[in-house]
Order: sequence, then structure tokens, then C-alpha cells
Amino acid sequence: MMTNETSPTRFTTLLDNAVLSRLERMRLAPRRRLTNRSRGEHQSGKGGASTEFVDYRDYAPGDDMRYVDWNIFSRLERPFVKLYRHEEEMHVVLLVDASSSMQFEGKFELARSLAAAFGLMGLLNVERVSAYACHHQGQEPLFLPPCSGRVSRKRLFEFLETIPVGGDFPIDAAIDALLRRHRGRGIVALLSDFLTFGNFEKPLNRLFSAGLEILAVQILGPTEMNPELTGDIRFVDCETGHTLDVSSAGDLLGIYHEHRAALEEELGILCRQRNGRFLSLSSQEPVETVLFDTLRRKGWVR
Amino acid sequence: MTWPDFLALQNAWLFLLLVPLVILYFLKLKRPRLEIPSLALWRSVMNDQRVNSPFQKFKRNLLLLLQVLLLACLALAAIQPILPTGAERAEFLPVLIDCSASMGALDEPGGGTRLAAAKKEVRHLIDNLLPSQRLSLIAVSSTARRLTDFTDNKRVLRKALEQLEVVPVASRLEDALRMTQALARTVKVDTVVLFTDGNVPAIVDFELPFKLNFQKLPAAGQNLGITAVSARRARDRWDLFVRVEASHGGVAVAKPASDAASADATAGTEAAADAENEQRATVQLMQNGKLVASELFAISPGQSQRLVFPVDAAGASSLEIRLLPEGFDALETDNTAWLDLPVSRDLAVYCPLNLSSYRHALRGMQNVALYPDDNGDGSAASYDLVISDRKADLDLDAGAFVLTGVVPDEVARLVHVEESLAEVVDWQRSAPLLQHVLLTEVQIADQPIAADDVRDRDFEELGYEVLAHGRRGPLVLRKDPGGRPQYFLLFHTDRSTLPYRVGFPILVANAVQLAMQQAGLSEARGQPTGILPPINLKPDTDYRVVGPNGQAIAERTSADGLLSGVPVPNVGRYVIHEGGREVAAVGVSLLTGSESSLDTVDRLQFPELAVGASSELLKSDKPLWPFFAALGFVLLLAEWWYYQKRPSGLPTT
Repeated sequence: MMTNETSPTRFTTLLDNAVLSRLERMRLAPRRRLTNRSRGEHQSGKGGASTEFVDYRDYAPGDDMRYVDWNIFSRLERPFVKLYRHEEEMHVVLLVDASSSMQFEGKFELARSLAAAFGLMGLLNVERVSAYACHHQGQEPLFLPPCSGRVSRKRLFEFLETIPVGGDFPIDAAIDALLRRHRGRGIVALLSDFLTFGNFEKPLNRLFSAGLEILAVQILGPTEMNPELTGDIRFVDCETGHTLDVSSAGDLLGIYHEHRAALEEELGILCRQRNGRFLSLSSQEPVETVLFDTLRRKGWVR
Repeated sequence: MTWPDFLALQNAWLFLLLVPLVILYFLKLKRPRLEIPSLALWRSVMNDQRVNSPFQKFKRNLLLLLQVLLLACLALAAIQPILPTGAERAEFLPVLIDCSASMGALDEPGGGTRLAAAKKEVRHLIDNLLPSQRLSLIAVSSTARRLTDFTDNKRVLRKALEQLEVVPVASRLEDALRMTQALARTVKVDTVVLFTDGNVPAIVDFELPFKLNFQKLPAAGQNLGITAVSARRARDRWDLFVRVEASHGGVAVAKPASDAASADATAGTEAAADAENEQRATVQLMQNGKLVASELFAISPGQSQRLVFPVDAAGASSLEIRLLPEGFDALETDNTAWLDLPVSRDLAVYCPLNLSSYRHALRGMQNVALYPDDNGDGSAASYDLVISDRKADLDLDAGAFVLTGVVPDEVARLVHVEESLAEVVDWQRSAPLLQHVLLTEVQIADQPIAADDVRDRDFEELGYEVLAHGRRGPLVLRKDPGGRPQYFLLFHTDRSTLPYRVGFPILVANAVQLAMQQAGLSEARGQPTGILPPINLKPDTDYRVVGPNGQAIAERTSADGLLSGVPVPNVGRYVIHEGGREVAAVGVSLLTGSESSLDTVDRLQFPELAVGASSELLKSDKPLWPFFAALGFVLLLAEWWYYQKRPSGLPTT
């Protein structure tokens, strides 16, 4: 079990040093090159000034003569300009659901660890990383301003480690709050259980419109994935305190599983329709397995 | 399909309690609380159409379902549904239960009696008694006894039924039917149910004013029984005759007359079968408690055996005859019989000297002591027979009187005697005094002449029976005051040709025989159960009759010294005490061939109609409320268990 106190030999409580060292060799693999105009290490689709050759084009008056390929000119007697890949900066946005529903069965711990991993991969690839944590509805989410570079690791980890848990901020409303502050294109990692009464279609549309590729990770506890219940039960919502009386719960488990699968399917479809990706995880899965196996196999990271 | 009927439909309002029950259920339902991250998924589950289907709703609310069913059961029980079976729903139903001797017969070794089978059927009737029905239980034996009034109190009915026991007497239906007819005057009785084994007289002298449901019980098994015991006095001993009969083995013997030919054809087969079914038995004779004789015999079903035992006549004896069958015997009470033999002595006969013809006839008879002797001397304190022509001799203490030429004072206004020639027109040839006496062509000089408009009925009203008629009036009268018969020959035999006829000594012998029977000197018969015959004791004295089971009855003799009307329903010895001193004892036995034979009838013939036996059980409407009450109790237990059991599946932490 992870402790909040950092041991002298440990860089952060969120991830082991071994994981950190492996993460240094990994980077996020967005499907689209949604980058900012500022230069960075992330390659854009546009022509740029990097050393990586991409294509030729006809010379136009005013072009920089330094990019004319003289070997081609000598053979064809026509000037062609060499085009190089343009490397631009990508914004990595982390949205961690810190409402009360995430404090069950290690869901929040896994969400923080994955957020740390995603942020670390962004920082080490010279990309701008910002983080949000939502708690109570009506209050502004906790916010880590965009930062970049290896030097920002400590700042990122400290932000994630100190996120308090509790509140009733639904994840759909948190997306709206995020977009009110965020500027820039890139990817957004949504780390939540996505158990909300709201509709995800509009928030995801707005993320897509803002130029953010969606990486949605649903984290559920074992009792949410495979509840073992029978008899008459009064369920209490930990966030709202609302109750729901269920009789013969054991007879309804089949329907429960159908509805949970339907929710996953709906979220997956919503994400894919917006060029995003969706993954549902159990909070009991080790973070190493998720990072180095699941995400790699699914092509989320390289 | 038969739909149930309801007897208390006004209680259907109890179904309205379902509404508050459902409300209270949801208000008071105790559910364990479980905090979960979000209700979102469960809310969507609960909104699913499948979850909200009626069946699933019931399934999910099992506790509510149990409570609804429980309340429904109680409400159904309260409206008292019944399942009609087509039975006549008589409001007042008299139930006649045969408890005669044959009802004590077993169907098999260790089996139940017929009365137990009848009780089972009646208990079924009582259990299914509808609220509007009233039963009255009537016990039928030789008489009838009402066990309960018309009541719907099942406890009273069951108690009375349990107390009903077999009475070892012959069965007779008339009294019970008349009692039922009397009951029908106060309440409306449409149907009467009779439970019997069928061992009843086939012909019933009763006009049925109601419908009789003749419920015949299954037949009993094989039975041997003593059906007659008598003793006849020989010269210096008694000859005891014991008749033992074997039943037909529970087969109804009533056969139509037209089947006589076929019966003859099968007689040989039946005889062979009877030989195979022969039963062996031993009859033991106990004299004054000591075994004096024993005889082994074999008997076929439906046959009888007559056994003869010589018994010493030295003194008074009490005989007990025991029948010991070697196989199954259905009826126990007919295996023992008693007979009391009196002290042997000569018959004391008083006959005045002037009746020389009578004295001459008496003188030639054995065991007769004639008073006075030919010299006119000698007398006795009491006589067994008085033959006289003097009216004053009626005052003598005697057991029987034969008075000739005497007109009783009571009938003097009805008849007078003239001196003219009379002859006998007709006479009762079966009368004990006139048996084998031919009175035709007897010339009589005295002519009894009846007054005008005097008929036999006028004599009967005075207690006299006309035994012989002349042309103008009665010739011989009989009266039986206090069990002491008095015969009046209204003409004097000396003024007739009767003493010269062969019939005269026969007449005197009949009188002697009659007196001997009266005194118990010539023969003795076993006393059957029922009513004790009159016994001559001290006049106006209190006596206590103690039966075989210790029950005692206090009785008082009449002014004539007769103790009569004492009920003796049980088999055994009845001892008569006077102030603690035993003065007499009488052995009472079943001695009823019809009961011992266990023969049954399938039809009861009434004067105008016949009633056939119903082999089907008596139908009765089946009340369903016990079923619903029991189901409600089971549901209550199920609900208690369901409510108390620990909810499983919840996280333990």
C-alpha cells in the first residue's frame, strides 16, 4: 500500500522510482497532431525547421534560398525547396476526479498515479502540462498552471499528492470548468469513474472543439465491477446522500452488469466519435500493468 | 367446475386492509444501508422496464408479497368459503347411530368395531359442519336415546360421540325414527342420516315423513355366538340346551325369492366352501363357578349347532356357558351366557275335593303335589296352581289360577250365565291352556250370554282376553294381573261333556305345564339383555340391583311384590339386594341370533317405500377456512423466517 510520506530514496509517493525511470523512455502517442504554434519537441504536420526532411515543393519567389536543393536544380534545372518537419509544443491536460465517489477501493490512488505518469511523460517530452482536480460543485477546481520541462516534475507531483478527496463535483461539470480556464490544443486525460447522472455528449464535444484529444480512463472498484449483493438494500449515494431502495438486489445484478457495460460502450463510442479513446480499469490493477502493458498495447503510449 | 361458495361474505371488507398493509410496508421496511460511490448505475437499473414488470416487482418485494398473501388468507378464512359437493345442505340434521350389539363386531383381528367406523363417519360430519347446520345425535339400540339436542357446538357433539358405547341388545329402528319424528315437529327436518352396519330388521313398521339416508358401514368379520340357552327338567336332572350360531362371514344374506333355483344350483359349491371354512370352538359349562362339562365342535359359516349337557338338579344352580372359538371371532359379548336353575320340587296344586274330575287328572301326573289330599287334609302356604270353582279361592297365594263356573265380578255387567245349551264356536288354539284341546262338539249346560252391544273390546278394556267364544258370549277368559295368569271358564265343566273328552286331561296338563313354567320348575330360559322379567319379591320393598360393571339401580316392588321394568343393558350377572342382603341373582346374556349372525340388509322396507343402503360416504360441503388458516400460519412462519434471516451478500466490513 502506498503511503503519503515520501521516503528519502523515493522521488514521489505516486510512482516507484523504477516506474519513473521507465516512464522517462516513454511518450504519449496522440492520434492527431494537435499542437500549439509555439515550438516544441512535438512534431506537427506542417513544414518546419527541424532537421527531419519531409518533402519538396516548387520554389516560389521570396523563399529562403538556403532551403533550395541545389543537387536537384543541377539535374533538372528547376529550383525545388526542401521542406522539413515542423516541431511544435503539445498541451497535456490532466483532469483528476477527486469527488467522494473516487475514495472507494483505491480508485483515487490509481487516478493520481496515472495522472502523474501522463504528466511526467508530457514534461519529459518538453510539452506543457496542466492539471485540474475537481471537488465540490460550485467551487473552482484545483488547478496546476501549465508547466513544462523536467524541472516541473516536482511541482506536478506535489500538486497531485496534495489533492484532497471529497465533494460532489460531477465529471461532466468539471470538464466545463476546465474549459473555462484552459487554452491550447493537445490531449486531455480524464481520470474518473464517470458515474454521474449528467450527459457526456456536450462536454466531450466542447473538448473536441477546443482541440483536445480525449483520453478517458474509467476507474471502478471491484464492488462496482462485480457487486455481490442480495436481499433488500437501501443504497446511499456518498456524494449526494440520496438513497435508493432496492429489493432482491441479487436478482438485479444481471441487469446491473448490462447497464455498466452499456455505460462503458456509450463512453467509448462518444470518445471514438471525437477521435478520442476510452479505457475502463479496475482500481485493483497495478499501475505498472496499466502503464507498461495495457496502455502500450492499446497504443496510448510508446 | 365447482366454484366455492361463501358463508360470511360480509367479512370481505377485510381485503381493504391490503391498502394500509402496503402503505405500512413501505413506510416501515427495514433495509440495511449501504453507501456506494454513486447511485447512477443503480438508478438506471431501477428504471429498467424489466425491473418494473409486475412479476419482477412482486419478486423484489417478497416480504410484501408474503404479507399480502397472509392477509388474503386470513380474509378468505374470515369469509368462510366452502366447496359445495352437491350434498343436501339440511339445516337440522338428525344423525342416528346404531349402537346395538353387532356394532361391537370387529372387521379383522385387532381391527376396529363397527361403532368406531360409524364414529369416524360422524366425526367427519361434525368436522365439516357448516355454521348454519345443527346436528342432533341419537343412539339407536333396542330403544333410542338422544345424545345431543340440535347444536352446532362441535365440542359438545364430539364429546357425546366419544361417550357413545355399544349396548349389547338387539337393534330396533322404530323408536329412534319416532323420536326423530317428534323432533321434526319443532324444527324442519328434511333428511335423517342413519349409520348402521345393516344388522337391523329389514321391515320397519314406521311411516317415513322424511328422507332417510341409510349409510351402511363395511361388514364385520366371522363370528360365533351363543344365541339360545335353555334347560328342560327331566326326571332327576336338567337337560341344558345351548345353541351356537356362526355368521356368514360378513356377507349379506338377503336374497331375492326368485333366485331360489339358482341358489339350489350353487348350494353344492357353497357347501364345499363352507366345509373349508369350518371353525372349531369349545363350549365350557360352569356350574356354580366350577367347570362341569366341555365340548369341542366344528361349525360352518351360516350354520348352527345345538349342544346338550345334562346338569344335576339337586339344588339351585347358576350356570355359566362359555364359548371359546379357535379362530378370529368378531363379537365378544355373545360368547358368554348365564342360566339360573331353580330348586327342584313338586308343583303345589290346590284343587277342592268337589272337582273330582280335575283331581283325577292331576293325580296321574308326576311331580305334582295335590292339596288337599283325598281326606281333605293338608294345605300349603302358597300354591303354584289353583284349580277351583269358588270365586273366593282367588285370594289364595298362587302363581296361576284356573277357575271354572266363575264369572269375575269385573265382567259380571258384561255377561251373565243362563241354564241353556251352549257350544264352542271358536277358540284360540295357540293359547297355552287350550293347546291341543279339541272343543268342538262339547256340550255345555251353562250358556254365558254377553250383554247387548258388548264386544271383545269391552273385555279387553278390563284386561281380559277372550280365549273361547260361544254363540252368545265368551266361554273362556284370561287375565294376567301381576304376572299371575288367571283363566276363567265361565261355564262349569261338570255341567258339560268336557270331562269325558280326550281334551280334558290335556287341558289339565296344559294348566300344570303353564304353572310349572310360571314357577320355573319345568324349564328355564336364558335371560336376554334389555329389560329384566318381573320377579316375585316382597311387596312394596326397596331393592338395589347391581349390574356386572358395578352400576346400581334402586327399584321398588309393586303392591303385588313384582319387581319389574329393571333395565339390564349389559351382559353379566345382576344381583338384587335388599338392604345389603343378596336375595336373587339373574344372569343376562345377549342371546340374540340376529345380532350374533351379523347378517346385514341392504334395503329397509317401510310400509310404503323401501330405502336402499348407500355405500358411498355421506357427502358434506367442504369448508375451506381451515385450509386458508393453515396456509396463513405457514406464510406467517415463512415471513418471520424471511424477516429474521440475516441479509446475505452485504459486505461484512
